[in-house]
Amino acid sequence: MVKRAAPKPRRRLAATPHRHEAGRCLGILRELSDFIDDELPDDICLQIRRHLGDCPHCEEFVASLRQTVSLCRGNPVPALSANERALMREKILNAVRSR
Amino acid sequence: MRDRFDTLYKDHVDLMYRYANRLCGEAEAAKDLVQETFLNAYRGFNRFRGDAQVSTWLYAIASRACLRMRRKRKGAPERELSLEEFIPSSEGEFHLQIPVEGLSPEEALQNKELRQALNAAIDKLPKKYKMVLVLRDMEGLSAKEAGTAMGLSERAVKSRLHRARLFVRRELSARGLAEGTHEPDHE
Repeated sequence: MVKRAAPKPRRRLAATPHRHEAGRCLGILRELSDFIDDELPDDICLQIRRHLGDCPHCEEFVASLRQTVSLCRGNPVPALSANERALMREKILNAVRSR
Repeated sequence: MRDRFDTLYKDHVDLMYRYANRLCGEAEAAKDLVQETFLNAYRGFNRFRGDAQVSTWLYAIASRACLRMRRKRKGAPERELSLEEFIPSSEGEFHLQIPVEGLSPEEALQNKELRQALNAAIDKLPKKYKMVLVLRDMEGLSAKEAGTAMGLSERAVKSRLHRARLFVRRELSARGLAEGTHEPDHE
């Protein structure tokens, strides 16, 4: 049985379109990867957190970006079999000899 | 030389196959890339000075080989991604279309539709962005290591990574679906 954390209630977004007031949201957009990677100075992080507290659109955008990065990190990839490893090694060594 | 190669191969073939598979998206092309990588490594072994980790050196060889090989193949068109194109313009674009809140990535990716959408989004990335995303977010290299592997500054790596993440995020939002950027398999 997989334990799931209770989903965080989503804040209601304003019915009016997001207008990126005074360019602040655009400024935030530029910094978001450094923000979620913890690579920004403390004062910039604080400014961004304050903005996120005031702007549900940006807060939701950041959450979805974090989720995207998590999905990329968790995306599985198939592994080689022992037979495939051995076969590739032989092909490489044959190519070394022939070229 | 043969013993050194065998050790190199044994220690790194799985790592390189994983990287190749993520870049190529299919097994046979990935095997071709791994073979080309180790063939070039064999020939260049004596020139490896040990400035970087062996794995970073191999990532660099594989990345160059991939760029050469992909020029011959049909792939996502090369273009620059601008930040402006990722600014949401409607409500459905702020969150992911398939909710993943409260799920681990492994649990979320059990959803076939989400997995296909994610892989399709990554495949649609122009290759120079895709490589950075794979090296940083999937292979777990630091910005400095990814820069060494791709011959880029850390700043350039961060800039490309940010755009690549925004691209994939958008593809997984309602806008990605609305623009028909992937074809979910309804079972």
